[in-house]
Amino acid sequence: MENTLRQKARELLEKGEVKVVIGYGWNKRKTHTTPVFITKPQDVEKLIFNPLCVNNLSLYLTRKFPDIKALGKPAIVAKGCDIKTIAVLISESQLKREDVVILGMSCNGVVYKQELWKGELKPEIMPTKCHNCDVRNPHIADIIIGEKVNFTPPDTPAGMVFDKIRELDKKSNSERWDFWIEHFNRCIKCYACRQVCPLCYCERCIAEKNMPQWIETSAHPRGNLAWNLKRAMDLTGRCTFCGECERACPVNIPLNLVNQKLALVVKDAFGHKAGYDEKVHPPMIVFNMEDTEDFIK
Amino acid sequence: MTTKFLKKENLGKLIDTLIGEGSIFVAPRMGARQVVYAPVSKFEEIVFDYIIPINSFKEFLFPQTETVAAFSIHKEGVDLRGVEIEPKETVIFGSRPCDAASVASLRAVFNWDFKDEFYNRREDKAVVMTVACTKADDSCFCTTVNLTPDSQKGSDILLQETSGGDYAVEAITEKGKGFMDRFNNFFEPLPTAYSPLPTVDIKPIAGVDVQKVKEWLKDTKHYENPLWQELARKCIGCGACTFACPTCHCFDIVDEGSAFEGERIKNWDACQFEFFTLHTSGHNPRDTQYKRWRNRFMCKFNFYPNKFSSRGCVGCGRCIRVCPVRLDITEVMEEISSLR
Repeated sequence: MENTLRQKARELLEKGEVKVVIGYGWNKRKTHTTPVFITKPQDVEKLIFNPLCVNNLSLYLTRKFPDIKALGKPAIVAKGCDIKTIAVLISESQLKREDVVILGMSCNGVVYKQELWKGELKPEIMPTKCHNCDVRNPHIADIIIGEKVNFTPPDTPAGMVFDKIRELDKKSNSERWDFWIEHFNRCIKCYACRQVCPLCYCERCIAEKNMPQWIETSAHPRGNLAWNLKRAMDLTGRCTFCGECERACPVNIPLNLVNQKLALVVKDAFGHKAGYDEKVHPPMIVFNMEDTEDFIK
Repeated sequence: MTTKFLKKENLGKLIDTLIGEGSIFVAPRMGARQVVYAPVSKFEEIVFDYIIPINSFKEFLFPQTETVAAFSIHKEGVDLRGVEIEPKETVIFGSRPCDAASVASLRAVFNWDFKDEFYNRREDKAVVMTVACTKADDSCFCTTVNLTPDSQKGSDILLQETSGGDYAVEAITEKGKGFMDRFNNFFEPLPTAYSPLPTVDIKPIAGVDVQKVKEWLKDTKHYENPLWQELARKCIGCGACTFACPTCHCFDIVDEGSAFEGERIKNWDACQFEFFTLHTSGHNPRDTQYKRWRNRFMCKFNFYPNKFSSRGCVGCGRCIRVCPVRLDITEVMEEISSLR
């Protein structure tokens, strides 16, 4: 699989079809994977693919990275879940389909955090998204790399995140409030959740607008609640549950839980699942003359 | 100074006594599935089997969010009030030698021109009880920056774990000695036989030469070296590294409240944020991420060591552990060390 990946990457670079291949490589000590940007055909040997390739590299296709954009047309190594984000970026006009070459990787799942890897991919170290994945064979790609994966996700979503949602749904409002306040209180306002999120691409985040200060920058309970709620609402109907925010959070706020809950709400209300079709707009950002509600007309 | 002995059961009594006296006892404990430095209320909450907490203990000397003044506006005029803090004694148990070494770094910067009373009063009331490291992970690199897993620097008291789970204890500073004298019923004479656990052996990273890194950084013609862009391209610009770092100390001042009443608050800030250096004119001297990453690296290994005698980096490895894209500061040190 890695050989095919490297061969395709080399061809793309040699033919000049792309100027950079955004992919995964090893760190120096080969304990962790890390994003790499391959610009020379002779460097394609650095590209790897394995269950430690957790990052959603589509982040680097956004306008947050002008110096990567300046390298020229990219090819990106992407798992099905990462491609979902690319689809949303395209539907939100952040990217044109023809401006990126997607090297779609057949995937058997990744680890929740790289530190959990002990040489074998066991279900208990995989994130909830992998247990329910319906895009192990990439759904949008220019080149698909790897053998076809036979995996049917369960009818009822399984895994820790869904179990916890069901548990929280049974609780009272005040219990849920206490649950979230306790978690949000740990927030240190490092904004790793925002920075690692490919869909948080605002040129100026509302957290940085200070005339007036919409979101208090202090890491006190009020500021933390405002920030985390605001971000959750912004991702509603757009979030593809890639899990990067939760993985990046240094204080382990269960962000997958809030984002997945909102994804379920959107699915129930609008029948929309983000990231499957780059031609479909997320429901919260479109206005449609056929909308049944008349309050906005 | 003489070595004493602290039995585990006496540690429990020490905690109870301190908390009874109104002190804060900070120790490694579980917080959201990971080991963190946080206040504990009893012995049972402490985690003893840990490498290093995910956060540094700087938040107990330099809180992430702290009110420094308050204001209100009336018909009669403006009322401005300063905040005087009177911190409680804070005992930091289970500090690691790298973290202890960072206290001198914070003290230097908070006393360089202006004496920051908020920091100083907290630090004056803090007692750092460091436990020498018997374990390390692949992010630890204290020996690469010339510290050791049993270094005394910055600790008031240094403890060495014994095979029975007790501690051989040494006072390092006068403050530490005073603390041990105050609780001499818990710090017992050293028994004739006890077996200290061996300190972990951390090999310095072979390819890194800190002195060379410093010299290379000092040379201003390397400031625009294309290497920076290459090495830091993957940086996503979050503040995880700076907030986890025990020596990062930058802060922002904000006013919160209504137009007529509010507080002036000091919050942690990070040089990795795009708006950290944004001027009111709209110009940003660090307009792309690699320049921000370069700044942090320069701060640790050039600006800081040139200005102060303490360290910019203590080798705790937190910035490596928390980085969502595994941008490893030691790899950059290696890269620069290998340049001719």
